[in-house]
Amino acid sequence: MNIYSVNLSGPAPWGFRLQGGKDFSMPLTVSRLTPGGKAAQAGVGVGDWVVSISDTNAEDMTHVEAQNQIRAATDSLTLTLSK
Amino acid sequence: MMTMTQMETTVHYDNGYDEYQYMNQEDEWDRDNLLDPAWEQQQRKTFTAWCNSHLRKAGTQIENIEEDFRNGLKLMLLLEVISGERLPKPDRGKMRFHKIANVNKALEYITSKGVKLVSIGAEEIVDGNVKMTLGMIWTIILRFAIQDINVEETSAKEGLLLWCQRKTAPYRNVNVQNFHVSWKDGLAFCALIHRHRPDLLDYSKLNKDDPLGNLNLAFDIAEKHLDIPKMLDAEDIINTPKPDERAIMTYMSCFYHAFAGAEQAETAANRICKVLGVNQENEKMMEEYERLASELLEWIRRTTPWLENRTPEKTMAEMQRKLEDFRDYRRQHKPPKVQEKCQLEINFNTLQTKLRISNRPAFMPSEGKMVSDIASAWQGLDQAEKGYEEWLLTEIRRLERLDHLAEKFRQKATNHENWASGKELILSQNDYETATLIEIKALLRKHEAFESDLAAHQDRVEQIAAIAQELNELDYHDVAAVNQRCQSICDLWDKLGTLTQKRREALERTDKLLETIDQLFIEFAKRLAPFNNWMEGAMEDLQDMFIVHTIEEVQSLIAAHEQFKATLPEADAERQALLGIHNEVQKISQSYGIKANIVNPYSTLTTEDLIEKWDKVKKLVPQRDGALQEEMARQHANERLRRHFAAQANLIGPWIQTRMEDIGRCSLEIGGTLEDQMTQLKQCEHVIVAYKLNVDKLEGDHQLIQESLVFDNKHTNYTMEHIRVGWELLLTTVARTINEIETQILTRDAKGISQQQMKEFRSSFNHFDRKKNGAMETDDFRACLISMGYDLGEVEFARIMILVDPNGTGKVSFQSFIDFMTRETADTDTAEQVVASFRILATDKPYILMEELRRELPPEQAEYCIMRMPPYAGSGAPPGALDYTAFSTALYGESDL
Repeated sequence: MNIYSVNLSGPAPWGFRLQGGKDFSMPLTVSRLTPGGKAAQAGVGVGDWVVSISDTNAEDMTHVEAQNQIRAATDSLTLTLSK
Repeated sequence: MMTMTQMETTVHYDNGYDEYQYMNQEDEWDRDNLLDPAWEQQQRKTFTAWCNSHLRKAGTQIENIEEDFRNGLKLMLLLEVISGERLPKPDRGKMRFHKIANVNKALEYITSKGVKLVSIGAEEIVDGNVKMTLGMIWTIILRFAIQDINVEETSAKEGLLLWCQRKTAPYRNVNVQNFHVSWKDGLAFCALIHRHRPDLLDYSKLNKDDPLGNLNLAFDIAEKHLDIPKMLDAEDIINTPKPDERAIMTYMSCFYHAFAGAEQAETAANRICKVLGVNQENEKMMEEYERLASELLEWIRRTTPWLENRTPEKTMAEMQRKLEDFRDYRRQHKPPKVQEKCQLEINFNTLQTKLRISNRPAFMPSEGKMVSDIASAWQGLDQAEKGYEEWLLTEIRRLERLDHLAEKFRQKATNHENWASGKELILSQNDYETATLIEIKALLRKHEAFESDLAAHQDRVEQIAAIAQELNELDYHDVAAVNQRCQSICDLWDKLGTLTQKRREALERTDKLLETIDQLFIEFAKRLAPFNNWMEGAMEDLQDMFIVHTIEEVQSLIAAHEQFKATLPEADAERQALLGIHNEVQKISQSYGIKANIVNPYSTLTTEDLIEKWDKVKKLVPQRDGALQEEMARQHANERLRRHFAAQANLIGPWIQTRMEDIGRCSLEIGGTLEDQMTQLKQCEHVIVAYKLNVDKLEGDHQLIQESLVFDNKHTNYTMEHIRVGWELLLTTVARTINEIETQILTRDAKGISQQQMKEFRSSFNHFDRKKNGAMETDDFRACLISMGYDLGEVEFARIMILVDPNGTGKVSFQSFIDFMTRETADTDTAEQVVASFRILATDKPYILMEELRRELPPEQAEYCIMRMPPYAGSGAPPGALDYTAFSTALYGESDL
């Protein structure tokens, strides 16, 4: 378990695909990275789990909640992930 | 007594010559010529009176002084009268010589009295010589009336004068200096009278200037009251310058004798009185002595017996009172008596001394009152006293001891009585009749304790008796009561002893009986318990709910039951024995009158229980027989059912199995189209459905079996459940397989997978489905992926696993496999297709409006979208714009951010 944080500077797009959520009984995962995107540049890896979004614990978030949380970040987005 | 030497007579006729002297007789005759005729007259009167005053005692008188004495007879008589002595017998002749003789006798007598008669001859007298006669009479007067006067050691004339002076001394107007002029005023006479007899005249009324009155008064009174005849003449005295001394002296001598005689008589009387007084005093003293002696002796006589009284009193209080009385006696009563005795002795001694001094004989007390008597009586008293005191103290000590003993007795008796009270009652109790064994034992213990208590008291009872004995010996006053009490104590003691013994016996007897009963009870209990258990066991067994499933089981039960029945007689015997014990107990308690509630303490079970249970057992036996038989029948019936079921199941089971195989085969088949497969399967399904009837029938049989509670069936390996499950599985398998085929068809159509591809998928899947159960294990799948060229890390594989096996069953179905295989190429489309669809509806806008949704979609879906779609966050959007892109991606769980 390797937990790390990234701070992406805005605005969106952040350059990654989020998959999963509580309603899908799957952990929130990064399923794809836009090559050269901000997430990829920050060192996010495909298959990494999203632990928290903007310092909010993402374990129990539904897909929509996670989506909204990320959309709420405008100037910068802080993510804590786990490889 | 006058002596002769003192006899001197002197007659003074001088005027105022005061010297008095009595001359000798010789001198007298010398004054023959000196005799005054006045005086002669006076003398004659006076002397005559004087002689008559004496002669009247002889019963005769003289008239004429010179004549009547001539014969000498009256002279002799006069002398006799005056002296009180007898003269010689007078001569009774009348001759001269007779007369002379008589006169001579008289004269001799006078001479014999110590008077010197000079110149007085008998012849002159016989001849009647006046002078001589007067002289002789004067001599007589002098000698017999005056000579013996003795006043304060002064005698005769001087004495008389002194006497007159002394007697008249208190009367200041009287001054007696002589026998002539001092008397002239008469006051002297009166004073003299008054001095001796104040009652005869009132002197204060007399007057000096009335000499006549005074004189006459005095002469009258003297004559009337003093028995002194008139010898003087008042006028003569007054008229004569110097009255005749001799006449006055003669007259005064009569006075002297009258008074002084009285005085002498008085003195004599005094002396006598004195003597008598002394006598009387002595007599009184003697009487006093006698009286005191009597009293004292009386007192001693009274007291001595009291002191000698040795009657003991009963109580110490009384004795102490006696002691007190004795003390009183010692302190109050005796001392005065001691004093009395002392006084008596003193009196006695004084009396004796007085008597001795006054020349009287010694005093001899009357009989029994002698000093010695008194002394001895007193001694007796003292002794009695001493003895009494000692006796008192001894008695008191004795009584003290008695009191002490009596009290001791009382105390001990009371203590004992207290202890003993109620014991009789306790010992007479019949509490053992209703006592249980434990109680009897307790009673026995108590009784033991009591017995030792009793023994301990034996001593005390003996002590009490000993004290009573001593009280008897010491003669205690209330010994009767003591004895009575002692007796009752002893009686009660004996009684207690007897009762104790009896009670012991009763208790022991009862104890033994109860022991016996107890033993019986124990035995009863000992035997009843197992028997009861046996009975209970038997009852239980007999009522035992048996679940048997086989005929053999029933048979063995029946066999057991028969075995059991065989044991009944023995049990019955035991029952009899137990009842026997019980009856024995009843018999014992009845015949020995044990009234206690005879309950078996060792057993809660009674004979009633025993009997009841036995009856139950007896009843149950045939019941069981019946039940077993019933069961047997049932088992037989069940067996039949089983067989029937088994027959059916053995047909159906394999049939299902065959069908399942068919289906499996069918689905695994590679050759032929999906439609072909479908048709085959449908056919199969049809057949299956038609076969349901059999299954239902089997269900019916099964129900019967179940209702008969038959749960096993050795005639078939197939249970209804097997069949049912198999049947359902068959149904579901066929349905699922059909569904799978349908899905495959759909998928094929949707994904445009060709038949060939399908075959390939199928072949791969079959290949890796090692277990050939239509699903791949995780490892199988991994192997499959590797074979297809997927180089997977664990993470990726895990992700993929999540995708293909979202439920985590560990199995990958063919459908999932296909989905996975086809997804990779087309996974983005689905979400994009939806986005594209929304774009069309939103007329190429990046957002959609609510009215557009409502316009294009059915109301339900429209509202769903409106609710779920997030607001569009991009720029240039009107309010209420919705982000359908985010929504769509969210639908698939994938969002591009």
